[in-house]
Amino acid sequence: MFFVAPAVVLLVAFAAYPLFVLIRMSVSDVGPTNIVGTWHFIGLANYIQVLSAPDLWFSALRTLGVAAMLLASNLVLGFLAGSILSVGGRVTNVVLGIMVFVWALPPIVSGSVWKFLLDDNGAINGLLHVVGLARVSWLSSPNLALWSVAGIIAWAALPFSALIIRGGLLAIPRDVIEAAALDGAGYWRTQFQIALPLLRSTMWILAILTVLYAFKSFDFFYVVTQGGPGTATNTLPVQSYNTAFSGFNMGLGATIAVISMLFVALFAIPYVRSIRSESDE
Amino acid sequence: MIGKPTRGLFSVLRIILGLVYLLPLMWIVLTSLKTSDQVLKDPNALLFNPTLATYQAVIGSGVGAIITSVEIAVCVTIVVLIVGVPAAFALSRRISPAWNRVIAIILAALLVLQMVPQPMTVIPLYSVLASWQLLGTLPGLILADIALLLPFAIMLLRPFVLAIPTALYEAAEIDGASAFQSFRRITVPMLSNGIVTVLSVVFISSWGEFVYAINFLPEGTVLPVSGLLAQQNSVYSSNWNGLMALAVLTSLPLLVVFIFSQRRLINGLSLGAVK
Repeated sequence: MFFVAPAVVLLVAFAAYPLFVLIRMSVSDVGPTNIVGTWHFIGLANYIQVLSAPDLWFSALRTLGVAAMLLASNLVLGFLAGSILSVGGRVTNVVLGIMVFVWALPPIVSGSVWKFLLDDNGAINGLLHVVGLARVSWLSSPNLALWSVAGIIAWAALPFSALIIRGGLLAIPRDVIEAAALDGAGYWRTQFQIALPLLRSTMWILAILTVLYAFKSFDFFYVVTQGGPGTATNTLPVQSYNTAFSGFNMGLGATIAVISMLFVALFAIPYVRSIRSESDE
Repeated sequence: MIGKPTRGLFSVLRIILGLVYLLPLMWIVLTSLKTSDQVLKDPNALLFNPTLATYQAVIGSGVGAIITSVEIAVCVTIVVLIVGVPAAFALSRRISPAWNRVIAIILAALLVLQMVPQPMTVIPLYSVLASWQLLGTLPGLILADIALLLPFAIMLLRPFVLAIPTALYEAAEIDGASAFQSFRRITVPMLSNGIVTVLSVVFISSWGEFVYAINFLPEGTVLPVSGLLAQQNSVYSSNWNGLMALAVLTSLPLLVVFIFSQRRLINGLSLGAVK
């Protein structure tokens, strides 16, 4: 079938081949001067350098921290929001519309507005000041910045998980829910004991997607903190990008990229499996 | 069933949820209507004289950026559709066991490509584009964007193609239609919902893409709106009103798409996203 040929050609040239180049870069000494030209093969020197420095491990921990926060937000808040939005009329539709709009906004836009809102003189601190609380250095404090950005990402990602969970809830047959109600179960008991178990496979896929998303998250960090202050918000993708494009060491950046891809693969394999078993049915 | 107190609580929670998402959007628009002086004096003022001065300044210097954005987004969207729709068609037709195996391999590859983080592709693409003399050119950036969005587009289109009953194809085959004829006469017309969804999503994404744009276009060229916003953002400044006006311009296509196809987009995304 040559219907698929153009897509395959394009993707091999501009997506698969670059991945191969990435791996070749990670075992070479590549800087801005020889990016076009010959690369010296240096074996695993880049890997040894990266893995023996503490920076990479701190970045990995930060990435896992972001993933944990996103998991909590997407699954717990997502389930609550999905529940709230699976009933009701016009207000629900309006709220859903706004949320999906925000989710579809380019991260460069939603990142910029939060950078402004969380600025030391921004609206959030202004609000805290008005109600008599102390101002908080959301983005300039090294201890807090990572969680502030993670919060922004969670805010931007919640609409998607709420939408998916809502879809799952609406697909549950009404008589199942009504039977539980006849047995005298209250709303939240029904939600947690009947609906939640029925959504297990959806929640599972959502959880994997969320972890993958955390490892992919780069735009928000780039827009809001660029890894700073210092290295306080360096996650794996941010560190690899900064090493390559600010530190001008392409080889080392590629090495960090390959290592974080291995992390991604760890979570991607069960996802690909579950998708394939679903489409085989 | 939902009791009365819960129902009341729900209404309150729904409105809070809505405000959590609505207020930042309003803040963008509000700030873009202020002048630099007003923002400098009190960035959080709620009462002020709204003015379009910021937009005049931004658009005056940013016409080129808007044109670049349109060029990129239109080219990317057209190519992704021209290449992606036939691919989604081919990957949905289970015509022989051998082909089924090919489908499984390609689908797995697409899933993997979709999961590769963008900073991991931006590093090697920089050198690939450079060695093919495409670095610093608009076509190079467009090709990179296409490769970024194509896997997602195909995966999003496939459930729509699968929803077309196979009996239609069988009937066409009996009438002697070639694969190309069934594609043109059956798949494309019945795919309008899917095509609109993917068209919107790809257009919005390529309009908002900035990581490739700031790295692959040479310094001193006209960046697209999103790239301009990213560049302005990284320079330390308190030109918040200018930033927010650029943010509004960057979100404009999304707004247009939303006004026309909100319901279709929400339904289409729920259908294709998790499958």
